[in-house]
Amino acid sequence: MPRSSTLLVIDDEPQIRRVVRHALEADHARVLEAASGREGLDLAAAERPALIVLDLGLPDMSGADVCRDIRGWSTVPIVVLSARHSDEEKAALLDLGADDYVTKPFSTLEFQARVRSHLRRALLPATSAGGEVRIHVGDVVIDLAKRSVTREGAFVHLTPIEWELLRVLATNAGRTMTHTQLFSRVWDRPHGDAQQNLRVHVASVRRKLERDPVRPSIIITEPGVGYRFESGR
Amino acid sequence: MTPRAERPRDADAPVREVSSWFLWLGALAVVTAGLLAVRPHLDKAHVALAYLLLVLGAGARSGRRLGIAVSVVSFFCFNFFFVPPHHTLVVAAPLDWLVLAAFLATGVIAAQLLARAQSEARAARERADEVDRLAALGAEALNAGRAEGALTRIAEVVRATLRVTRCEVFVRDGHDAVTLVAEAGPPPSEARTAAAGTTPDTQAPFALSMGGARLVEWVAVSGRSALERMDGGVRVGAATEYPNDPLDLDVTGAQTILIPLRVRDRTVGVLRIAHSKALTLDRPQSRFLAALAYYAALGVERLRLVAEAEHAHALREADELKNALLASVSHDLRTPLTTIKALAHDLRMDGHERAATIEEEADRLNRFVADLLDLSRLNGGAFTVTPELNAVEDLFGAALQRASGLLREHEVSVALDTAEPLLLGRFDFVHSLRVLVNLLENAAKYSPGGSVIELSVEREGDVLRIVVADRGFGVPAGEEDRIFEPFYRPSGRPDTSGAGLGLSIARRMAEAQGGTVTYEPREGGGSRFMLQLAAADVSTLDSPPSSTESL
Repeated sequence: MPRSSTLLVIDDEPQIRRVVRHALEADHARVLEAASGREGLDLAAAERPALIVLDLGLPDMSGADVCRDIRGWSTVPIVVLSARHSDEEKAALLDLGADDYVTKPFSTLEFQARVRSHLRRALLPATSAGGEVRIHVGDVVIDLAKRSVTREGAFVHLTPIEWELLRVLATNAGRTMTHTQLFSRVWDRPHGDAQQNLRVHVASVRRKLERDPVRPSIIITEPGVGYRFESGR
Repeated sequence: MTPRAERPRDADAPVREVSSWFLWLGALAVVTAGLLAVRPHLDKAHVALAYLLLVLGAGARSGRRLGIAVSVVSFFCFNFFFVPPHHTLVVAAPLDWLVLAAFLATGVIAAQLLARAQSEARAARERADEVDRLAALGAEALNAGRAEGALTRIAEVVRATLRVTRCEVFVRDGHDAVTLVAEAGPPPSEARTAAAGTTPDTQAPFALSMGGARLVEWVAVSGRSALERMDGGVRVGAATEYPNDPLDLDVTGAQTILIPLRVRDRTVGVLRIAHSKALTLDRPQSRFLAALAYYAALGVERLRLVAEAEHAHALREADELKNALLASVSHDLRTPLTTIKALAHDLRMDGHERAATIEEEADRLNRFVADLLDLSRLNGGAFTVTPELNAVEDLFGAALQRASGLLREHEVSVALDTAEPLLLGRFDFVHSLRVLVNLLENAAKYSPGGSVIELSVEREGDVLRIVVADRGFGVPAGEEDRIFEPFYRPSGRPDTSGAGLGLSIARRMAEAQGGTVTYEPREGGGSRFMLQLAAADVSTLDSPPSSTESL
């Protein structure tokens, strides 16, 4: 697909646009730039980029509005850039449909890795929920069809809640799932008694899957925002 | 201007007294002559009643002494003219002695009682006047637009009432220095020449000498009254409890009097009165002075409160400005930092190894800005805490991940048994993470590369104790508390990087959620920093997490 090599940067600071373009041009042929939210939305609609990098401090629109607008007609991965925004604001943007956020000043390597990971995931056929897809991460294999997990070949028993938590995280690998998103998908409601126990369930899943639960490599904590399943870059 | 205070100074008083003696003794003569004219028709009771009326009149009009004098003279006239045998002091009938004695006693007692009743009435009137004046002054003092105005008014009233040359009010500040805030009367230099004109023999004019200024300070600090005498001597009052009597001194011969102004057991200022001649204060005057001193104390306290409120307001505004500035600076700094970091990265990719330093420095600057921003949020109260149920493992994992960049040269050993049930706490994850990262960074900064930093946790009752222990340089003796102050740097270690905010932010963030951060030296060298947080239990998990693992 030719358009998959086109990326869009929406940022009012020319220096940041240049830096982002520079970081992305190594991997991708074409990086478009927009200096305002309006211009960004127009370019996104016209060019159908494979991924959008969106700065939150735009002069004409809030990042949340741009995000909501795009999500109205596209599932294109959106990576948000933020300078001083609180964890709550970041989580709210992820809830609105942004895929990831990067805090300034970011490391170029980290940024490139995130973008690659989102592009790869976007290119996957949207079948992870059904079929006989098996997810391999380290010595852990998650079989979504059989609803089973093995570690070093040995069967790992998970409680229904733990399985559901792992399935939601794994099928969104690379994406930071906010606490709210996890509550609503695992417990089928955004808030409830179980809300408080989410972190306890995550800790207990880690004990069953991670080599060192204190230095997790599969389920990563995004402090104040949520958790991310690391598919292994 | 108490009437009673005025009386002894009244030059006409002796003249008036002599004339009233003449008047009443004259009246006595006239009455006696009148009675003599009709003596054959009179009973002794008529005479006694007529004289008694005179005694009462004299006592009521001109006081006790004249009353008693009139009754004694009447007694002799009664005896001489009207008790048989007439025109002699001999008394024939023994019963007449009784009449005469009763008359004399009645007259004297009546004069006494009248005089006392009158003096009480006068005192009551004076007290009422005094209360009126004080009430008016109090209302005036409270209503005065500025506290200084009220104090000046009080100084003026003191000066006019006590008829002294000058009255001054001093305020004591937090550093025990005193400042003149209100005055009435001519400034010391003018008064000096005036005083020199009237009392040429006075060697020590009452000008506020260097010693005088120090005496004001002494009174302010000690809370005891003092006076300077005409001969230059200084006397001080006992350390007694206000407000019984602020003036517990014999003021005779004093030229200046200094009274401590006290509000709620605290000396807030000094009232000083000075006169060109020797001062005399009678009882009502010193009582009046005491009452005014209390008003002055309230005025001084008001002055202090107003100044404090203005200061607090200014501080708040400065604080808001600082916070706004920091927020804006932190945002504006991050954009260039992003560019610098990215360009340094490109340089490094092109083979410029030293560009890595630029990236590290950019990160350091960014951390510094974040620290400043956090400190200003903690100070400004715009700091929200959301305690939630969290697993200690999760906190450790996030902390090790976040601190990994700064822990490259150290080994971190974690003592946490994952076979044991999960250790849980109720704390704010993000803030606690910040605390733990700061403690780990601190350990890395102050211990040699290659050494081991130990991270452990234990639960004691309702408390989780997380310990970061290093084999570093420790904390110099005597600085154990100072290390938690912002911008602290250990003495004798100039080579450390950072602004010295990490530990102070750590402690403040822990305290904001009811936790603590403490330090103790580690046995065998090094430091132990302890983070205490509230422990928690979970009983309502929909399935027990630890018992279902299979091989």
